[in-house]
Amino acid sequence: MVITSVDVIQSIIDGILYGSIYALIGVGFTLIFGAMQKLNMAYAASSIAGAYCGLGISAVLSLNLLVTFFLGPLVGGLIGILVYLVCFRFIPSREHLGSLMASIGALFLIDEIIVHETDGSPLNFPELGIFSEAYFLVGEFGFRGDLIFVLIVSLLAMTSIILMLYRTKYGLAARAVSQQMNAAILCGINPHKVNASTFFLAGVLGGLAGCLAAAAVGVISPLLILPLTIKGLIATVIGGLGSIKGAIIAGLLLGGFESLFLLVRGVNERDIYVFLLLFLFLVFKPNGMFGSIIDRD
Amino acid sequence: MEYYFGILQTLGFHVLLGYSAYILLLTGQLSLAQVGFFAIGAYASGILTVLFEWHIFPALFIGAIAAGCMAFMVGFPALRIKGLMLVIATIAFSEIVRLIFFNLRWRFEINGLEVGPDGAQGFREIRYFAANGWEIYEIVWLIWTMVAVATILLWWLDQIKAGAILRAIGSDELAAESSGINVTSVKIVAMACGGVIAGLSGGLYAHSTTYVDHNTFTVLLATFAVSYPLVGGLKSVFGTLAAVIFIQGILIEGLRFLGDYRTILFGALIILVMNFKPKGIVDENFVKGISEYLRLNKKLIK
Repeated sequence: MVITSVDVIQSIIDGILYGSIYALIGVGFTLIFGAMQKLNMAYAASSIAGAYCGLGISAVLSLNLLVTFFLGPLVGGLIGILVYLVCFRFIPSREHLGSLMASIGALFLIDEIIVHETDGSPLNFPELGIFSEAYFLVGEFGFRGDLIFVLIVSLLAMTSIILMLYRTKYGLAARAVSQQMNAAILCGINPHKVNASTFFLAGVLGGLAGCLAAAAVGVISPLLILPLTIKGLIATVIGGLGSIKGAIIAGLLLGGFESLFLLVRGVNERDIYVFLLLFLFLVFKPNGMFGSIIDRD
Repeated sequence: MEYYFGILQTLGFHVLLGYSAYILLLTGQLSLAQVGFFAIGAYASGILTVLFEWHIFPALFIGAIAAGCMAFMVGFPALRIKGLMLVIATIAFSEIVRLIFFNLRWRFEINGLEVGPDGAQGFREIRYFAANGWEIYEIVWLIWTMVAVATILLWWLDQIKAGAILRAIGSDELAAESSGINVTSVKIVAMACGGVIAGLSGGLYAHSTTYVDHNTFTVLLATFAVSYPLVGGLKSVFGTLAAVIFIQGILIEGLRFLGDYRTILFGALIILVMNFKPKGIVDENFVKGISEYLRLNKKLIK
């Protein structure tokens, strides 16, 4: 097969559109990291679990697709709060490995519960109705309708998160807690409440990302969890830990990069290059594209 | 009887894997790369005995050294960053190794039989033990000799200065650095030692199961590796040993009647231990309690 420049650009376009899911997951990791300087490894797992629950509830009650997209994020948010309670709330922060390890435990707990409940077989996820049939041609390049939908929804969600952080009272409190927890407590802010809301917000974003990923792929399966976790983390690191703008841009670029290597090297080898990209960044630019110069761990 | 020997073998690999994570955890770094080194050891020594028809001991040795060299090379970029970033980097490393073995196809005919790693099909025909007439108890004996040597070495490490240096970095990196310890190089050496132990474990694993494939070397196994020292506690090497026996022996093997629920229990166990015993079960108080108990007994005997 000869790969023409049209193919290359087309695959990069597809990848960037799909990369908005990585960007959403990356923003979720970043939100939680920004709030507590900790990683929530169970984040992508709870996102997929949220999507599963949304799908399950609307299947049982035979509700339509739009409700799934509402329920998924909601349940994702609730699972986020649960993860906060069991993995972060009561583990003292001086045990810096404690929360990390507990959240890895939660990752496998959620993963195994899903596998156990669904017997490990993937479920069909409803496609996006009219969006999945739409296909736009611009010159020689095509844009898949469902992926454009994914991109638009993600951008809207991320914009509202940024507005919430910088324009509302909650956002002010969240930023205060992340900057100086003791001073925030003196101002009458309850840091646990604020952190729980941050986990809820991140969980909502994650649930949305889970639904979008499942809708774009057409099936939902526990096999989505680990790739989403790792790629979300890579988007977070490449964008610069703690930078929301960075996570968004890095997520989109990561999608494009991944899709390019899918075209050039095939599906079996694609992820090798994506992970090597992470190593390149860690060696040459450990603070990522937009990270401030930080020396914390 | 075969069944119990089988469990003993599994415990052996997991103890070594746990030790390889333990030595790096002493410096306060959590690495999920251990499973990558385990895979390198497994494939390297398997290739040596199958494709090049080496004896088992040099093959295990080279496998362990190869994993150690890889750990050394990964250590350079990875340990300049620390903490959370290291966790992400080591997950990526383990996945890279897994995917490389997923794509590795290197087969040729030996004695009229085509052997070697076969991509997604895995690497079968690692039959050194069966071909050379080893009994199962001899294999168990070999594995547990290695475990005993590693245990003694790690216990001895705590009696000499090197162990104190590792623990100093683990408890306060800044203080360790200002007392003249080159933190990064110590961490890289710890990483390389962990790599050697994990590679050895991988070589033993490959030969006693006769079959390896990329599905074994997942992040789940890496999580098992770090969970042993964390659940057992970093105060003593015996904590890791006890945790392996508890998790693999009791939780995974002993509760077989629970079926799938055992893997759910593993995640729940980690969460519980981290919440209630963040320093592990064999923590300072536990060690103090035991040593006081022993002293008391001595006095009574006198």
